[in-house]
Amino acid sequence: MKYIALILLAWLTTNQAGQDIYTCKNAKINLYSSAPIEDIAATATSGASVYNAATGELAFSVPVRDFHFPKSLMEEHFNENYMESDKYPKATFKGKIQEHPDLSKDGSYPVTAVGDLQVHGVTQTRTIAGNLKVSNGVLTMTSEFMVKCADHHIDIPAIVFHHIAESIRIRIAATYTAYKKQ
Amino acid sequence: MKRIITVFIFLALAAGLKAQQTDTVKKGAKKETSADSLLNAMSPEDKPQDVIAAFKASRLILSPTTVTVKKNNLNFLVIHRFGDIGTSTGGARTLFGLDAINDVYIGFEYGLSDNLNIDFGRSTIGGLIELGLKYAVLHQKTDNSSPVAVTLLGQTGVRPYGQFTTFENRLSYLGQVIISRKFTSALSLQVSPVFVRDNTPIPDLPGNEQQFFSLTAAGRYKVTKGMSILVDYEHPFSSFRSGANGFSDPLGFGIEEQTGGHVFTINITNARGISEINSLSGSQASYGRGQFRLGFTISRMFDFNHKGSGYK
Repeated sequence: MKYIALILLAWLTTNQAGQDIYTCKNAKINLYSSAPIEDIAATATSGASVYNAATGELAFSVPVRDFHFPKSLMEEHFNENYMESDKYPKATFKGKIQEHPDLSKDGSYPVTAVGDLQVHGVTQTRTIAGNLKVSNGVLTMTSEFMVKCADHHIDIPAIVFHHIAESIRIRIAATYTAYKKQ
Repeated sequence: MKRIITVFIFLALAAGLKAQQTDTVKKGAKKETSADSLLNAMSPEDKPQDVIAAFKASRLILSPTTVTVKKNNLNFLVIHRFGDIGTSTGGARTLFGLDAINDVYIGFEYGLSDNLNIDFGRSTIGGLIELGLKYAVLHQKTDNSSPVAVTLLGQTGVRPYGQFTTFENRLSYLGQVIISRKFTSALSLQVSPVFVRDNTPIPDLPGNEQQFFSLTAAGRYKVTKGMSILVDYEHPFSSFRSGANGFSDPLGFGIEEQTGGHVFTINITNARGISEINSLSGSQASYGRGQFRLGFTISRMFDFNHKGSGYK
């Protein structure tokens, strides 16, 4: 009897701790630069993200090398000249979602995340607006925001100034599933 | 029955208590939060990747690099070597050799795949036309599972003009193994054993060897993100190609500037020939005699993969 109680206890507690955490391993992150001479876009599809609904904590991490450009030379310059991905291999966001949407109800909730955005080794505290959609226990988070190159000490040489925008538009789409402990 | 009920009450209480506890723990933890550690566990941590851009261009001053032109990209090259700076044909009268052009190379390199290139080029010296294949066998990896990059290069050169008894005598061959390592984001070095075979020796002098091995060594050091310093050296292992016969090992110094799709190199070398077949076989110019010259390389990359930006 005691053993059953213990097993039940263990099951109950793990279940309780696990159900608030949602993870995503294939967050899609798209960057878009619009400049007089050309528009440049790249997409990364292996961003990782964790959302803790109990505390509102939200964390994102994307390998810089995962951004793929239509032109291979652009991709090389992005890694080698601008992002210095050998020194700063990841771009991250760590923060908290201010709202506490009811995840048991399907719907679309506007949310705001406040936290640290780290790009090119430089951290900026940002307030980023987004949207959280709940549908049958599946969470989808989307957001669109701008990142200024200068804020993250990304130098654009004068000669390519008309090719690369000063502010890069970032679009994020992440689909989360409830995290199960192994 | 009573016992079971008490156990359940206890259980429910304990579970509630436990949950509360974890909650306060989470709130208390400031930096290394549970979401953080979970994220770290999830991220594909340091999956070994190819080290990119050991060199900005497929060529330095004298030697080709391990870098290949990517698939469906075309690299267009214009390379110049001017006249002697320090001999009687140099000096201010010819604007330090700029009035005299020793060699011009116009070439194309096309990426059949990311690792396989087909090269075509034509030099002024000997009217040499070259056709080559370049293949990246091994890429340097970020985790050092492969500490170096290895690229193979094979070329056939033909001199279509001039007096030759047979067509075979117009031909030269070059085979090369290029080994490079990007030591830091700024410093890359490479060495390369080369085999050259000239069916008619270059220059065609009695006693000159038709075939010989060479070793080349080159390096680049990035001073700023766009600008690098280059050094390039070649040594043919050929008893005929000695100082006594007027030969001198090709040695070049240069500055490389990258701007978008272009790579510009300005250099000083003693070698007159741009093609390796020419520079390894017949470098009879020496710094000591004032036979060094300005040169430049313009490399322009065209990408045929996508016309637009590809943004959806």
